[in-house]
Amino acid sequence: MIEAQVLVIGAGPAGLAAAIEASRAGLAVTVVEQRETIGGAIYRQAVLGAPATYQPPAVRARWRRLVHDFAGCGITVRHGSVFLGIDGDGLAIVENRGTGHVEPVAAKAVIIAVGAIEKVLPRPGWNKAGVSTVGGLQIMMKETGRAPEGRILLAGSGPLLIAVAAQMARLGNAPVAVVEAGDPFRHPLTGGGLLAYPTLLAEALFYLKDVWLRGIPWLRATTVAGIEAGADGLVATLHDYTGTERRVAVDRIGLHDGIRPNDFGLSTPPGTSPVVVTAGDCREALGAVAAEADGRRAALSVIRLLQQREEVGTTAALRRERNAQGLLSELFAPVSARPLLSGLTDDTVLCRCENRTVGDLKALCGKEDPLSGREVKHNGRFAMGACQGRFCAENTARLMAELRQDAPAPSAVDLTGRRWPIRPVPIGALVCASDDTSKQE
Amino acid sequence: MTGRFFDWNGSAIPFREGETIAAALTGAGILHLGDDSVGSEARYFCGIGACQNCLVRVNGAIREACLTRAVAGLSVACVERRDHD
Ligand SMILES: Cc1cc2nc3c(=O)[nH]c(=O)nc-3n(C[C@H](O)[C@@H](O)[C@H](O)COP(=O)(O)OP(=O)(O)OC[C@H]3O[C@@H](n4cnc5c(N)ncnc54)[C@H](O)[C@@H]3O)c2cc1C
Ligand code: FES
Repeated sequence: MIEAQVLVIGAGPAGLAAAIEASRAGLAVTVVEQRETIGGAIYRQAVLGAPATYQPPAVRARWRRLVHDFAGCGITVRHGSVFLGIDGDGLAIVENRGTGHVEPVAAKAVIIAVGAIEKVLPRPGWNKAGVSTVGGLQIMMKETGRAPEGRILLAGSGPLLIAVAAQMARLGNAPVAVVEAGDPFRHPLTGGGLLAYPTLLAEALFYLKDVWLRGIPWLRATTVAGIEAGADGLVATLHDYTGTERRVAVDRIGLHDGIRPNDFGLSTPPGTSPVVVTAGDCREALGAVAAEADGRRAALSVIRLLQQREEVGTTAALRRERNAQGLLSELFAPVSARPLLSGLTDDTVLCRCENRTVGDLKALCGKEDPLSGREVKHNGRFAMGACQGRFCAENTARLMAELRQDAPAPSAVDLTGRRWPIRPVPIGALVCASDDTSKQE
Repeated sequence: MTGRFFDWNGSAIPFREGETIAAALTGAGILHLGDDSVGSEARYFCGIGACQNCLVRVNGAIREACLTRAVAGLSVACVERRDHD
């Protein structure tokens, strides 16, 4: 059995900041990270010799400070280790990918900082090989120092698309176009509100200037309505706000419709031990600056909770980032307010892991008595597959609400439930773990 | 070539020290990582271990290609090939 006073899950900005803060308060901290490197989604490290990805000076400075402070604390990081959950006895369960064994960890406190996931709306063909998330394309670019090859289309919504377009261009392969469902130029007043957030504004302009200077088409108020296999590569059908349809042949497509907390399966264990606090984008998806601030808040909360005092609430820094993200969502709000369902054919895949389609969901929702989220999962296998609903539960819930306006609208968690393991794990490995624990007792 | 390769369904895939299996396969132009047991196309998607779309067999064990570092001599195959079961 591994022991730690504070176990931090995830070595992104939230986890690192939490670890630094707890360690400086004199607590013995262990960090568990599934990858071989620290940094999380925003600070994914390049392999040796690869050029660094183009990022604003403020972002690079934040990372340098974080690494410096973290190194100064001498905190143990268990790499290649996947956190699975906290069992009924209050032990954190971690799968060691090196040995293939599951290891129980006895900790007084656990800080969970497993980050965000990207939202991807269903569109016919979104499930094809050659389609990735935009963030997925970006972090591979950060890791390899190489832009994705061939003709690349970035589509969906939000400032990340612009950042990735600029970063790709700097590495020698600009995307053929950026397709944006919103149109920030239609909201000049909201845009003006960004003046209150100079760092954010500077970051946005840093990337936008590259997109402009290099003439990368930024097709606003436009969506990718569908993706098909073409003669060589993929063909995307674009719809713009005037109703005009256009087809573009590309090699790869990146999709991104925002981010949301990766909070799937995170449940609070019964009993009072260990103290469990979530931090960063897996608690509320507010971006890297907020994640760092929230990591510090989580560490202070743990210290207080261990002294039987109450958790630290939302700080002013978090409220500020929340307001900034609110402005960005308004700026990038989709121009078309059509229901999600209207663009989807019956054979559009909704849940890729179990290959469940819009037609399958319609059949389930056509029953006389509306099914609950849980029933749609158990009877229809939606949100039941390997991703545990991360990429389909929210979309399925939204479509259920559109299909059955007579029934209460379900949420993603109605479909997924909250049960560990938070990641698929071989049953054999779990059985070994419980044997190990019983030997300790 | 410096001699760092792993095996992908019988072909030798070069990689750089520290690269994930997903990055090396992508670099070799391989985007379709086979069809999984329900017939969905396996592929690199989220890049952060969340979507499980990139599952492959690494020396027989099912692993996320986007999380697993390439190591010389590894045997990597599509999940559909159940030679180890
Ligand atoms: C693909 C992607 C790209 C992004 N790119 C940017 C960007 O360029 N700029 C920007 O401002 N924001 C970006 N974001 C937003 C991002 O969420 C940042 O706001 C920031 O990285 C959040 O910090 P965090 O510490 O909360 O989470 P993360 O940085 O995501 O860190 C979470 C860490 O936990 C680890 N982890 C996850 N699950 C487990 C588990 N079960 N067991 C063990 N370890 C686990 C992960 O490997 C990761 O290292 C991106 C998000 C995504 C998903
Ligand atoms: S690409 Fe999503 S888990 Fe690997």
